[in-house]
Amino acid sequence: MEMELRRKGRFGRAMKTEWPLYLFLLPALLVTIIFAYLPIFTNVIAFMDYKFTKGWMGLASPWVGFKNFVDLFHDKEFPPLIWRTFYYSVLRLVLGHPAPFILALLINEARSRLVKRTVQTIYYLPHFVSWTVIASLTYWFLTTDIEGLVNNIRQMLGAQNRIIFMKYPENFPWILVITGMIKETGWGTIIYLAAISGVDAQLYEAAKIDGAGRWGQFVHVTFPSILPTTVILLIFAFGSLFASNFDQIFNLQNDIIRYDTNTISVYSYWKGVWAGRYSLATAAGLFQGVINAILLLSVNWLGKKASGHGFF
Amino acid sequence: MATTLHERPRSLRSNLGIKRSIGELIFDNLNVIFLLAFAFMTLYPFWYILVLSLNEGKDSMQGGVWFWPRKWTLTNYGYVLLNPQVLTAYRTTILRTLSGSVLSLLVCGFAAYALTKHRLPGRSLIITIFMIPMFIGGTVVSYYVLIAKLGMLNTFWVYIIPGCFNFFLTIIVRTYMYTIPPSLEESAKMDGASYFTIFFRIVTPLCMPIVATVFLFSAVGHWLDLYSNLIYTASNKAIMTLQYLLYLLILAKESSLNTLTEHPPIQGGAFTSRAEQVTPQAVKTAVIMVVTLPILFVYPFLQKYFVQGVLIGSVKE
Repeated sequence: MEMELRRKGRFGRAMKTEWPLYLFLLPALLVTIIFAYLPIFTNVIAFMDYKFTKGWMGLASPWVGFKNFVDLFHDKEFPPLIWRTFYYSVLRLVLGHPAPFILALLINEARSRLVKRTVQTIYYLPHFVSWTVIASLTYWFLTTDIEGLVNNIRQMLGAQNRIIFMKYPENFPWILVITGMIKETGWGTIIYLAAISGVDAQLYEAAKIDGAGRWGQFVHVTFPSILPTTVILLIFAFGSLFASNFDQIFNLQNDIIRYDTNTISVYSYWKGVWAGRYSLATAAGLFQGVINAILLLSVNWLGKKASGHGFF
Repeated sequence: MATTLHERPRSLRSNLGIKRSIGELIFDNLNVIFLLAFAFMTLYPFWYILVLSLNEGKDSMQGGVWFWPRKWTLTNYGYVLLNPQVLTAYRTTILRTLSGSVLSLLVCGFAAYALTKHRLPGRSLIITIFMIPMFIGGTVVSYYVLIAKLGMLNTFWVYIIPGCFNFFLTIIVRTYMYTIPPSLEESAKMDGASYFTIFFRIVTPLCMPIVATVFLFSAVGHWLDLYSNLIYTASNKAIMTLQYLLYLLILAKESSLNTLTEHPPIQGGAFTSRAEQVTPQAVKTAVIMVVTLPILFVYPFLQKYFVQGVLIGSVKE
């Protein structure tokens, strides 16, 4: 009781003198509550037969329990999406995650500062371009029209036909991986390069005195010193194993392969916003969201154990 | 211009001019070749589209235009830049980029400053409130329903308000604010300065580098954003953004926009004499460039701010 009074007193006193600080926090809090918390609660749509017009926010719609989830798993389209969402992320992780690490090491070994700086500036560039633009460029490279460079090169090398690459769903994961690597590998090197630059120069001197050549310095100094960064980043990358990159997939898809390349987030966009099946789409999104949250929380816990820090 | 991140001292041997071993020489050369090849792979797609956009459309259809325009023309850009739809999209995008970034800067800056005050009662509760949405969130539809019910569908507000607070950027700003010596603020307080005065007169001027960083991060986010237009304002053509225009034109192949090439924007003069050389494909390449070039031009000059942002963001508490 006394404790509570003291706390109240403390808060009250703070309000008297520190109110501008709370005022400073107010916009951020309002935006967070309205645009981050309310949508969490409107997820209950997944358990309703949602009608937009029924009651406040449509929340007077009838409850149907888990019916939408049952429907979802009976829909032929949905179960393969789970596997595919997972598959695309695993590909991205296995092939895309080591790329910045390797590239950073190679940049670090370049002797010419001019080369270093030039390639860094170029590598960071695609990070500042939208997926819509990247998808447009991809389209231009893979088209069968005369501008399609990939087909032009194939024909120069003796191929007889021009392939419509974007027509085959089996090509799609590779298009995702390659465009993803071109877009984000360079940007990903920043953190590794910072870790490398943080290595104490004395370690290199010591290695040299012990007779280590460049390879020896790399194996005994550079590599071990950025390994922790790599492990932490890898652990956190597992947190996005069930998240799909909506922008990338949505922009690179086309009508022919859409059905066979959809992932959960793209599916809930088409089903929900496009076709108006709000409850079904929310159920799909919620299914993904719950698995995501579990993954994120576990990797955050794991990362904390490994590094002593969480996300913040 | 580039970062000075990873400059480790040159090895003693190279300083003394002692020759590298054969293995090292081979590695060094292969490494540079690889780095340049990857740089080429990254840059060439943009270069290729730029070349096509500066070449006459009919001539491009003959093939063989790879590295340099064969028949120079600015006609393609003429079509794009005089098209009212493109101009509207440009205006909307610039407007949302500027207003959205300023708003975001204010909201995040205020919050960051308040969060530097460790003794503020309720501070850790507020941080928890900010952090939870990083783990769980709404779904496409639950956001859509909310925005619809708030009456923000098809309005300009949906571009700038829902995303104006970003906890990640706030943390970056707060981390930077910790470097300001507390004595400055204390002496101002002694002189009777209010928190508002301190924030705007002392903290903000000292935070200019991070203000630039956050502004740029936010501006790039606004410039590149397709999602909010796609989902919330798809049916209001008056506030279409550049990215969405590009999406409709090239990826969704919306036929109504193909009129872009059907009516020459200016009659008479050199323009129409060239007009029959124009193809829809060529005009589309010009659209891609018009959407991309502003960022490609400014980015190299601002690179250090972006890198700084990433680095401060990765430093944990």
